Amino acid sequence: MAAKWIETLTGSLEQKKQYKQDKARIDGLPEPYATAAKAMHRYFMYYGGITDGDTLMTMFGDLADLWERAAIDGTPVRAIVGDDPVEFAETFAQAYSGKQWIDKERERLTKAIDAAAGDNGKGAGA
Amino acid sequence: MGKQMTEMLKGTLEGIVLAILAVRPAYGYEITARLRDQGFSDIAEGTVYALLVRIEQRGLVDVEKVPSEKGPPRKVYTLNALGGEDLEEFWRTWSFLAERIEQLHQNIENSQEAGE
Repeated sequence: MAAKWIETLTGSLEQKKQYKQDKARIDGLPEPYATAAKAMHRYFMYYGGITDGDTLMTMFGDLADLWERAAIDGTPVRAIVGDDPVEFAETFAQAYSGKQWIDKERERLTKAIDAAAGDNGKGAGA
Repeated sequence: MGKQMTEMLKGTLEGIVLAILAVRPAYGYEITARLRDQGFSDIAEGTVYALLVRIEQRGLVDVEKVPSEKGPPRKVYTLNALGGEDLEEFWRTWSFLAERIEQLHQNIENSQEAGE
């Protein structure tokens, strides 16, 4: 009960714990995997735009899985990321279809265009 | 991998991976290895991983975590009914596209021959 009440103020404690665990897994990776994983983690903080905590947690957990596996198998960093790390990071992040801040704006754009076209999204707009 | 190849693969890789899983369940690295065997030599392991995450989020596969000797458990992906439907749609779309593009190609070749 008390925990629930506190969490409405602070956000989910379970999520914070999970986040710390996943961050520790990433920090604990051997080089060069730690550097690669941290760079991606940082990029997600800027690019992600995901506001939904659960989705973010799944993403960071999977990121840790990916690099731990690579470290154990000895897969070269380049063989994981490919030629374009930005492209890779963005494709990775886009796989998590949680609520993004841009969703609201997408909805708004759609409505504005519907109104401007005067068709409520129906008809051929003739 | 050439730029054009990368771009074209982007639209089809999901179908290709679903097709691989339709044969039998597999984990990420097996899928990458099979793609490489089939001539996609430069495909990045992470690309396949990100794709598997996406089809998992969309509910096209069932995932089972199988413990491995070392490291985190491996996720084994199995195509489910929804994934099967998606794969069928992929093949229909692919046939349509392949047919039309080939037709276009033939038309161009024929008109060039006629012009010679």
